[in-house]
Order: sequence, then structure tokens, then C-alpha cells
Amino acid sequence: MVGGFSSLLWAGAILCFIAYVIEFTKDNSASMDNLFLGIVLVLVVILTGMFAYYQEAKSTNIIGSISKMIPRKALVIRDGEKKEIPAEELVVGDIVEIKGGDQIPADIRILDSQGCKVDNSSLTGESEPQLRSCHFTHENPLETKNIGFYSTTCLEGTATGMVINTGDRTIIGRIASLASSVGQEKTPIAIEIEHFVHIVAGVAVSIGIVFFIIAICMKYRVLDAVIFLIGIILANVPEGLVAAVTVSLSLTAKRMAKKNCLVKNLEAVETLGSTSIICSDKTGTLTQNRMTVAHLWFDNQIYRADTSEDQKAQSFDQSSATWASLLNIVTLCNRAEFGAGQENVSIMKKIVMGDASETALLKFSEVIMGDVIERRKRNKKVAEIPFNSLNKFQLSIHETDDKRFLLVMKGAPEAILEKCSTIMFNGQEQPLDESAREAFQTAYMLLGGLGERVLGFCHLYLPEDEFPDTYSFDTETMNFPTSDLCFVGLISLIDPPRSNVPDAIIKCRSAGIKVIMVTGDHPITAKAIARSVGIISANSETVEDIAKRLKIPVEQVNKREAKAAVVSGMELKEMSPEQLDELLKNHSEIVFARTSPQQKLIIVEGCQRQDAVVAVTGDGVNDSPALKKANIGIAMGFAGSDAAKIAADMVLLDDNFASIVTGIEEGRLIFDNLKKIIAFTLTKNIAELCPFLIFIIAGVPLPIGTIVILFIDLGTDIIPSIALAYEKAESDIMNRKPRHKKKDRLVNHQLALYSYLHIGILQSVGGFFAYFTAYAVQGFRPDLLLYLRPLWVDDTINDLEDSYGQEWTKYQRNHLEWTGYTAYFVAVMVQQIADVIIRKTRINSIFQQGLFRNKYIWVGIASQIIIAVILSSGFGSVPILSFTTLRVQYWFVAVPYAIVIWLYDEFRKLLIRRYPGSWWDKNMYY
Amino acid sequence: MVTEKEKKTRGQVLEEWKEFVWNPRTREFMGRTGTSWAFILLFYLVFYAFLTALFTLTMWVMLQTLSDHIPTYQDQLATPGLMIRPKTENLEVLVNLSDSQSWKKHVEILDKFLEPYNDSIQAQKNDVCRPGHYYEQPDNGVLNYPKRACQFNRTQLGDCSGLSDPTHYGYSTGQPCVFIKMNRVINFYAGANQTMNVTCVGKRNEDAQNLGDFAMFPANGNIDLMYYPYYGKKFHVNYTQPLVAVKFMNVTPNVEVNVECRINAVNIATDDERDKFAGRVAFKLRIVKI
Repeated sequence: MVGGFSSLLWAGAILCFIAYVIEFTKDNSASMDNLFLGIVLVLVVILTGMFAYYQEAKSTNIIGSISKMIPRKALVIRDGEKKEIPAEELVVGDIVEIKGGDQIPADIRILDSQGCKVDNSSLTGESEPQLRSCHFTHENPLETKNIGFYSTTCLEGTATGMVINTGDRTIIGRIASLASSVGQEKTPIAIEIEHFVHIVAGVAVSIGIVFFIIAICMKYRVLDAVIFLIGIILANVPEGLVAAVTVSLSLTAKRMAKKNCLVKNLEAVETLGSTSIICSDKTGTLTQNRMTVAHLWFDNQIYRADTSEDQKAQSFDQSSATWASLLNIVTLCNRAEFGAGQENVSIMKKIVMGDASETALLKFSEVIMGDVIERRKRNKKVAEIPFNSLNKFQLSIHETDDKRFLLVMKGAPEAILEKCSTIMFNGQEQPLDESAREAFQTAYMLLGGLGERVLGFCHLYLPEDEFPDTYSFDTETMNFPTSDLCFVGLISLIDPPRSNVPDAIIKCRSAGIKVIMVTGDHPITAKAIARSVGIISANSETVEDIAKRLKIPVEQVNKREAKAAVVSGMELKEMSPEQLDELLKNHSEIVFARTSPQQKLIIVEGCQRQDAVVAVTGDGVNDSPALKKANIGIAMGFAGSDAAKIAADMVLLDDNFASIVTGIEEGRLIFDNLKKIIAFTLTKNIAELCPFLIFIIAGVPLPIGTIVILFIDLGTDIIPSIALAYEKAESDIMNRKPRHKKKDRLVNHQLALYSYLHIGILQSVGGFFAYFTAYAVQGFRPDLLLYLRPLWVDDTINDLEDSYGQEWTKYQRNHLEWTGYTAYFVAVMVQQIADVIIRKTRINSIFQQGLFRNKYIWVGIASQIIIAVILSSGFGSVPILSFTTLRVQYWFVAVPYAIVIWLYDEFRKLLIRRYPGSWWDKNMYY
Repeated sequence: MVTEKEKKTRGQVLEEWKEFVWNPRTREFMGRTGTSWAFILLFYLVFYAFLTALFTLTMWVMLQTLSDHIPTYQDQLATPGLMIRPKTENLEVLVNLSDSQSWKKHVEILDKFLEPYNDSIQAQKNDVCRPGHYYEQPDNGVLNYPKRACQFNRTQLGDCSGLSDPTHYGYSTGQPCVFIKMNRVINFYAGANQTMNVTCVGKRNEDAQNLGDFAMFPANGNIDLMYYPYYGKKFHVNYTQPLVAVKFMNVTPNVEVNVECRINAVNIATDDERDKFAGRVAFKLRIVKI
């Protein structure tokens, strides 16, 4: 990611080696300094590279465990024998056997099946188990019943099949390779870092070349000029930044993992923060992914049920006798059952055998009444007709306490109503007259309009004389009445939104993020859910709504008036890319309904044409191209297929949309904090660079050595810069617009100028003050130092006179030079303490932010001081490191400058806060 | 795949650059309007003026803390270094007898170097001091009282004084004089009240053979204690640094001879591994004779 710096450092290292070789060929006893520096630079490049790789790998590993998707073993019949072989050894033509629980090891054509049902949800998104048989039923391989797909699961039954495709040639493999062929754009943070590297490299190279030329013009030897060039490059490259950025990103990744966002690729952390459009699935992400009773209609009144996750607060009126009858039907006319051995599991979490609606009704009655199974046992079922799409109802007959049989029925409301002649009202049967029918129609339409699945319930007590308890019911001949029943009520079901989603959507809206819902559901249901979670806000209308309100045809409505739009897959298919762009531009609230997963890709591409950073959620295998194409693909941890998880950049462990929003918050925070980290890191580059420039121009002894620079960049500055990653947000970051990819740069010119030309220069001046002090107190006053260099570096001059008439040998001067390095180093370190404190905020005062809220900053400052102390005491004896021990008082030389840095930055922030939008704000806020 | 990244033609790039440099629509030069440039220049003017003032002030305060006559610390100067005159390139004294130009420059350097040692000048400016004793001059309550220096007369250098010497310090005859001096260090009591002298040897065995005889002036290469301590350039104005001259009588010609001279004094270590000039000096002699 930060490859640009490595190449600069490689260039520096190569220059070092060249310089050494030139020196060596001239004089065998040439100093090893350049060779040593070259080796150190190579080590720095390699180690920081390895470190970044390790960090990246560590966070990728989290996902590694999940990604083992491939079926491991397959039971194959070869040479007449059953063998278990690794699935990847299967070849076309092999006969394999599968049973319930297995993953299908390849695409197979079913030869023989015993009640084999497969879960194709990872492929098609349909979660209903599908029967497999050996009958060819459709031209399309995805539709026909005699094909089992690679990586799908066999739920029950057994089957034998012949392998027809393996590996990449399987249906799933083709989708996956489609996913990998979808071009993935560079992540925004990679673009930003690249931009930043360009700036820094540009500065380094141009200053380097200018001063190389100046040095040549000033009649320095070419070799010296090359060594200056190395110094300039080294000073300009923030060697520690790679490590700091990677660590900060992985810290954020860890924090996000705690909030259920598992980030596979570190850069995705920030991508999430710059997201401007989220294309979200409905089922499971916005909704709870389970049918739940939403409304009830009885006694000519609509009651609302609690649809929250635990359904504890059922507040409707339960005193009516009609309700008692309805509850009885709900309980009895239901084939769903709790799985065994779940006594201690809360009702909502119990596993139920049965379809979604029956499960919802079973749990609903269990919550309200408790012990449904007991009631069913008391009212033994004597006959039953299961639901089928022909008669559209389900019926069962039960024994009751008073010896009469009770016939209960539920089904499509209009079908049920047809069979009724009376309706129950307050527990009393009344004839089903026109007004009752009208009331039913109104309620039915209303509930249907809410996008809910409505069921009608009716019952009939069979007369005891006609049906004595010995009566034998026959469901084939229907020897019992199925008309003139008594209608009891309606219950409507919906997959309700997750309770924290509406808040998350509001947060997105205030954060300027557009949420687009993409679902395979019916438009009405989709729209209802969109309204209930706020994707379509309460006061906005679609074109259809406006047409209805104004009572004009849809075509006459001005499309621009409608904020919201519900677009079906069919409409989308007809649209040209320009029309789609138009749609995405003009409507802020969009729902795509009845879309196929393939259309997701089209939607994503449309959004990306608007220069948006698009996050897409998905779970199916066929979502993977869209996940890949999206700037950030988000796979579902529970419902998601492995292929989706592999294609995605992030996995949502709880499948919850709200987690995306917390992830976005973290991503935005890290963008801000990366700015702070970079500003902090860049500042001292100038303080490292100026010594070389002054050295060349004013001919003073070198104020700071290259090795010392490395100790600042990779020593004292590392921990404070990482500590900035822990900084809290300055203001509500979810209240501003997503950053504009092309306008809000990570490193803008304000940041560069302020770091380089303000604080950086201030630091340099402070450093030079320390440097001049270190020389002056030993006898070399500043005026003497100017243009002293030729004499200073001459090995044969061992009696160089200082300002007091004393004479110095070369080694004594060297030692003083190292003291100068150390003084400069300590001065930079002290001022970097001020720097890390001012970088805590970009606009607020330090006191608003709190000096002690981020404890890591103090750890960082302590580390700076400790490293500096260690270097200047213990390591002073290692000559190549060029540190000496500094008297305690000279550690404080730069303190006035550190205070000025802090005061100046407070002043800057104060003016920005006071005069927003002013010239100062525009030029000083980074 | 990536359709948005169409390559810009060169003309477009040039056009964009032109517009960046001078945008006639917004009247912007390099992305800023005239007022903006004025503001930014003014700002940097003020900011850097402030910085200069800050730097000047702190430097001034720092310089105030310094004493005029002695530096605050002398951390590196515990052991004074030794050095030779004439100081030649690579510390190699090359005397080519058939080419007078090769040593003329050495002679010129020495003439100039020894001029202040002329007896007349010494007698005029400096005191005659008591040999064998430090010439201590305490301030006695008068702050930074100017100090007197002791005489070191050129005649003390005997054959190497170069006075009425047709051989030019022996350079014309291949018997060159090399002068050894010890680095000045303020308030350093060289020798710790005991006599000290300079001795020279050939560095390796063969050097010792090739070196031959040499004579030292003053005798034994003695350096008298009266030249110490040194009180610094400003207050010890006419301080005359004691010298030891070594006249190499019969160096084997046409070979390079490595000579090392060191001072033998109680308080001057001459065995510093890293500083090759601490209390000693190494140089090369090469007499070319055809």
C-alpha cells in the first residue's frame, strides 16, 4: 500500500552502496558508514514490509477459518467399491452417494433419490428446501430437479448421482470466476495513501535534485552531493508511517470485530467510513428473517402485535371470547412443532420444525398462552388436510372437552370467507351479512397493503349427534362439512424489521449516506418494510403515491417531485444505464424489489457511476459478483454463503444492518485519525530535512545524522503516532456528509503546508537552537560555525581552533558533532511531544477534547522520553549510532519552542472555530 | 472494465496546466486569486518574521549565559591533541631534493608560523617567566583581568629556528625540521606539576631503522610548565604556544617513514584507541633523493 516509500528507500540504499563502492575503490580504508547505512535502509524496507504483511495476514486469518468451504470428502463408487476420497479428486463420470447433512461435492445429475431435499440458498437465495429426483423437469439447469449443485447442502434423504462438472466448471465455480473477473477498484484509502506518497516523494525528489545541483555548483565533490541526496531522501520519507498506518487500521479492525464487523482486508476499514451509498438486502439484514405475527383482526377491529425480537409486550385486548376461539384455532390448526430437548431455550430461539408462517403462529401462541403442546394433546387431532396451493387452506379436526369435534381451518382469507356463513363477534356467532363482508374486505385490504401475509381463520363445532366420538373421518372423501363455517378472524404476518434498524437508518441519513434496499420480495412488501424502517421516510412519496393523491395517471406526475421510488426488477431490466443514472440521481429513497441477484451488479455499477463509494450486502453465491464489484462488499455471517464471504471485504457477524452503521462510524474516525497521524509524522520530516539544507548552504557541521533520523522515525515517533489512532472523534462524525472521493483528500495541501511550513519549520528552528547551544557551550559559537565545514571535516586538521582559542582534534570534533546530533534529536523529540498533543484535535481546543481521555497518548509520550534516554545514555558508547550523553539541562532547551508550537496551534484552532468559512479557516484547517 | 479512466490527450493535460497557472475566468494564478496570494504572502511574512524574532531572542538569551573567557564545558578536551608544522596534505612531509618547489611551500609556512616567535617580538610583548613552574594568573577580584604570556624565543629552537639558516630548516639538505605543538586547552595544567617532554619514534621496526638520528630542540623535547595554564584567546592575548622541533638528520631517502611523536606527561593519556591524535601525532617523512 505504501510501496512508493519503499522504492524511495531502495533508491537511498542503492545510492549508499554506490557511494561506498566509489569510496572503497579510491581508498581501501574508507569508512563503512555508507555501507552500514545502506544495509540499515534495506533492513528497514524489508522489516516494515514484513510487519505490514504480518498485520494484514493476522486480520485475514480471522476469516481464514470461515473460508474453508470446499466439501472435504466424497463417497464415491469406483471399481464397484464404495470409497471415501477427497472431494477434489472427483472426476466427471464418478458416481457419488450423498445423504442428509452432506455438502454436495460436485455438480451431479441425480440417478436415484430417496426423499432427497437440498438447500440451494447459497446459490439462488431461496431458503425453501427443494426436492431432488431423477426426473428432468426443465431446460434450465438451475430449475431442473435432477441436478445437485456443488457446495449446496443435502438436508434430508439420500441420493446417488453422477458427477457432471467439477471445480471451476461447476455452476458455482462459474459464478465465482465471474466474481473474480469483475474488476475491483482500488480502495479509497489506497488511493489516498498513493496521493500522499506522491506528495512526499515529489517533495523529496525535487528538493533532493535542487540541492544536488546546488551542491555541485558549490563545488562539493559529487560523492558528497550523493551523500547529501541520501540524507534528503531519508529525511523526507516517513519510514515509520507504514507501520503506524497498518497498526492503526488493524486496531480499528479489531474494534470493529468486537462490534460484529469482521474486516477481511485492512483497507476496507476506511472504505466503510467513506461509504456514501449502502445497497442493503432486506431479508435478514433489515429484517429479523422470521415471519412474525404483526396484526390481528377480530371483533371488527385491528389489533397490533408486538413484533420486536422477544415479542414480550403483547398489549392488545385479550379479554374477548372471539380472541379465545381464534387462539384455539391458531394453536390447533398448526403442524409446526418445537424440536426436542429445548426446554431451557427461550421461546424465540427455539428451533421449530415447520414452515415460516406456522412457526410464527406457533411461537406467537406459545408466548401468549404457554404450553401449546399440552393443549394439542388435550385436543387430539383426528383428521387433517395439509395446506396445498389448490384448495388454499389447511384443516384439522380435533376432539374437545365437551365430546364435540371441532373443525378448525386456516388459509387464504378470501378462500376461508367463502366457506363461512357466520362470523364471530364478541364470542357470538352472527350471520355474515354485507356489512360484515365489507368490514372484512377493508381489514384485508389494509393489512395486505402493509405488505403483510394475511391468513383467515374459521372453525365449526360439529354437532354431536351427527358426529359421535366413534365417527371415522376420511380426508379423501371429505365426510364432514367444509362450508357454512364460522369466521373468527384474520392474522397477518410479516418479517418484521430488526428493532435497531430504524435508528441506524436515521443515523445513515444524518450522515449523508443513501440507503438503497434491494430485495427479491414483492414491491408492496418491500415498500412496507422500507417505510417501517425509514428507508422511505414518512413524508416522502413515490410517483405512484402522488398519482393516487392527486388522482391523476402515473404518467402525468412530475418525477422530480417524488423523493422515493420503488422499482421492480422488470422495470430495471428495461432501463438503459442513462435512465438508471437518472433514477439514482433524482430519488433519494430507492427500493428495488423483485430483483435478481444479477441485477444487484447493475445497481452497484450505476451507483459507482455517480462517484459514490458503494457498500453492498449479500449472502448468496450469486451475490458475489456484486460484492466484488462494490467498493465494500459485506457478507452475512449467519446466512451468508462461503462464496459470498470470500468475495466480500467484510463479514457482518450478526447479519444486522445496524452493525454496518457502527462500522461506518469507526471507519470515519480512522480517516480523521489517519489525518492526525500523517500530520504528526510529516511535521518532523522538515526538522530532519532542514539540517541537510543548512549544512549544504551554510557549511555548518552536520546537525543531525542519517542514523539518528531513522531513530526518530522508527523509534521515538512510532508509539505516539499509533496512539493517535485511539483518539476519540472531535464532534459527531455521523452528522457530516460522507467524504467526497475527489475533494476531501486524506492529505490535502492545508495539511501538508501546515505540517511542513508551519510546525515543521518551527521545529527545525527549535532543533537548530538546541544544536547551536550544544556547540556554543563547548566553545564553538554560532558565528564561527558558518562555513566551517571544509576545515571541520578534514581528517588531517587536528588542531582546529574554537571561539576561545582552544584546539580540537578530529575525533574531538566528531564527538562534539554527535553531541550536536543528540541535542537536535532531543529537541525534535521534545517538540514532537508538543506535536502529538496538538494533533489530538484538528479544530477543538485540547481542553475540549480532554488531555487525559486518550491514555495511549501518554504511553506514547513516555515511550518517546524513555527511548531518547536509553539512546543518549547506554547507546552512546556505540560509535556508529552516534549518540552521546547530554546534560540534563539541555533536554529542556527546546521546551520554549514546544510551548510555542502548542500555543500557536491553539491560536489556529481558536480562529478556525471563531471564524468558520474565513480565509483562515480555508487555509489552516486540514 | 475501467471506463472512467480514459487517457487524457496531451493537449488536454497542457490545457489543464495552462489553466492552473493562469485561469482567466477566475483570475487565479496557480490556483489562487491575487488577494489570496497577497494574504498568504503576508501571512508567511509575519509568521517567519515572528520565528526569526523568536530564534534571535532565544539565541541571544543563550549567548548571554556564555562566559567570554572560558567555554561552559570542555567535555571533549580532557586530552589535548598533538599536531605538526608544517601541516601538509595527508600529514606527509615530502622533501624532493631535486625539486625545490616541493619544499618551498613548507618553508614559507614555517617562516610565517615562526614569525611571532622572533625574540624581538617576544621580548617586546611577553614576560620572562620562572621555568619549571606554572604561570598562574588569578583574577584576584578583578573580573577577567588580562593575562600575560611567557616568552618562547625562536632561538630556543636551535638548528631549527631557521634564523640565518641557509638550509631552510634543513629542507634543502634533506634534514628537515618538523615542529610539534600541543593543542591549547583553557585552564589545562599540562604535566601536573612534573616535567614533560616529547619523544618521537618510528612507528614500526623498519621505520625506526629508516628514521635514523634526530635532534630535538629544546633539548630532550622538553616543554616547560610555565606556558601553562592557557587562559583563552580573549584574555591571554599574546600567548605563545611552546614548540618542540625535531630535526631528522639522516632519514633513509626514497622510502616512506612513519613517525610518531607523543608527549610524555603524567596527566595526558596517549593511548586512546579512537582518537589517534590524543597526546600524539603520526606523520610520514619522505626524502626523495636521486
